[in-house]
Amino acid sequence: MADNNLCYLSATELGEKIAAGDISSVEATEAYLDRIAQLDGNYASYITVTADRAREDARRADAEIAAGNRRGPLHGVPVAVKDQFDTAGILTTNGSSILGENIPDSDATIMTRLKEAGTVLLGKLNMSEYASGDAFRHPYGRPRNPWDTRRNPGTSSSGSGAATAAFLCATSLGEDTGGSIRGPAAFCGLVGIRPTLGLVSRHGVFGASWSMDTAGPISRTVTDCAHTLAAIAGHDPKDPQTWDVPVPDYAAALDGDIKGLKIGIVTERVHTDANDPEVRDAVIAATETLGGLGAEVSDVSLPLIVNSSEISYAIISSDAAMLNWDIISTEQLRELDHNNQVRLLMGSIVPAKAYQKAMRLREALRQQILAALEEVHALIMPASSVPSTLIPETTGLGTKADVIAGFKGRRGFTAPFNLANLPALSINCGFTASGLPIGLQIAGRAFDETTLFRLAYAYEQATDWGERRPPGV
Amino acid sequence: MADLTDSDVQALAKASSITIPDDLVTEVRESLNGLLEALEAIQEPDVADIQPLPIIVSATARKQEV
Repeated sequence: MADNNLCYLSATELGEKIAAGDISSVEATEAYLDRIAQLDGNYASYITVTADRAREDARRADAEIAAGNRRGPLHGVPVAVKDQFDTAGILTTNGSSILGENIPDSDATIMTRLKEAGTVLLGKLNMSEYASGDAFRHPYGRPRNPWDTRRNPGTSSSGSGAATAAFLCATSLGEDTGGSIRGPAAFCGLVGIRPTLGLVSRHGVFGASWSMDTAGPISRTVTDCAHTLAAIAGHDPKDPQTWDVPVPDYAAALDGDIKGLKIGIVTERVHTDANDPEVRDAVIAATETLGGLGAEVSDVSLPLIVNSSEISYAIISSDAAMLNWDIISTEQLRELDHNNQVRLLMGSIVPAKAYQKAMRLREALRQQILAALEEVHALIMPASSVPSTLIPETTGLGTKADVIAGFKGRRGFTAPFNLANLPALSINCGFTASGLPIGLQIAGRAFDETTLFRLAYAYEQATDWGERRPPGV
Repeated sequence: MADLTDSDVQALAKASSITIPDDLVTEVRESLNGLLEALEAIQEPDVADIQPLPIIVSATARKQEV
């Protein structure tokens, strides 16, 4: 019987114990495979468990480490990835029954990099169909939030959030087009970072919006998140949008010292009735904690940020329609989730005038954010205006009024940094009275993920939120 | 701006060489009208000189320092 307690170690601790010979990668892998078999029926976080591949990876890792060839901090550590990434010889569905028999011939670049880092692949994680947060139907089971299984673990990297929170992998990868890493991180009490567009390769990643898609980690600790990002980041000739810039040793910068760092509280997104009061209070308390640690906190105003949701919806819907034209222009359309049918059809007929206005507003918002970031190192606001929401019982995008009301909701909290192509991280900053996690969002300058990790790490070390586990987990 | 009708939506779809199934027309119409009304309502800042270019991350942004 495998030792279930191994699954409660952070990825970093696990990697250190494997490197020290205290435990083997094979033992850790068996512990996770046992745990997945016992518990994932509650969460539906995995689409495919790659047990044979995991055992093979683990044996190789143990042999390499024993021979003195440790590849890095994640060598031998069991991980899982969103089913949006190509994996050679392994089913890759993008969350859709349309791709129910799709087995790629080659790996996405980020999968190659995870292999090169010596990780063990436990499997492919559930997600919203075609990475659309609107999807209702989940052909591989409805992912559930370990903190309250009646609730949503966040979209679209729902399985990544659920599996990581339920200790069904040591760390994971998600993908964030409009908030799909930070949403699950916030709803599941985790650390997730959407990196700067161009830091992480999109080669072999199913696209949702060519100008906003970004893969990144969802982890239980800041250090785990930093190690996971470092493993996958870097220039890729196969992705022309990646930048040939050095990848820092993010974890090496995590010393807890944030004295002198300047933080801007985004007033339109903190002091607003759009927030659940418990979310607002937790975020304000977090800024006070950061101030107490030596950060210089001030208010900043980003007027256009309140319109982020509708701006991004116009762009992403149109992009997604074009990316999936082969589906929506054929009978295959009817195999999609109902909401996705509506959204993609709508996106395919957005008038050029509206699209152009959205693109101009996008650039104007980006300029507002960049101007603010000339004065401060990072911006702070909630990752979501509300804690995890109940899983909907009916499908449909609703009336015009429903659509407009929806633009005032939580997507407008993550979308600004997708529109600006800047890095943004979510870390747990407390719980509601009913025990649901609350996400603090920290956003920053292009390619300055290090500062986001430094702030998040200092906050994490100063608080004990990370010690709580979901009920029954 | 007046709301688009089902006929308008079908005409846009025809111009894009796609067919919107009858059972989805109403929802597509509501969704598009919601988006267009929300965008229309945004008081544009001075965007006349802003080009809607798909700039991802500029070199200037990369070099920012406080």
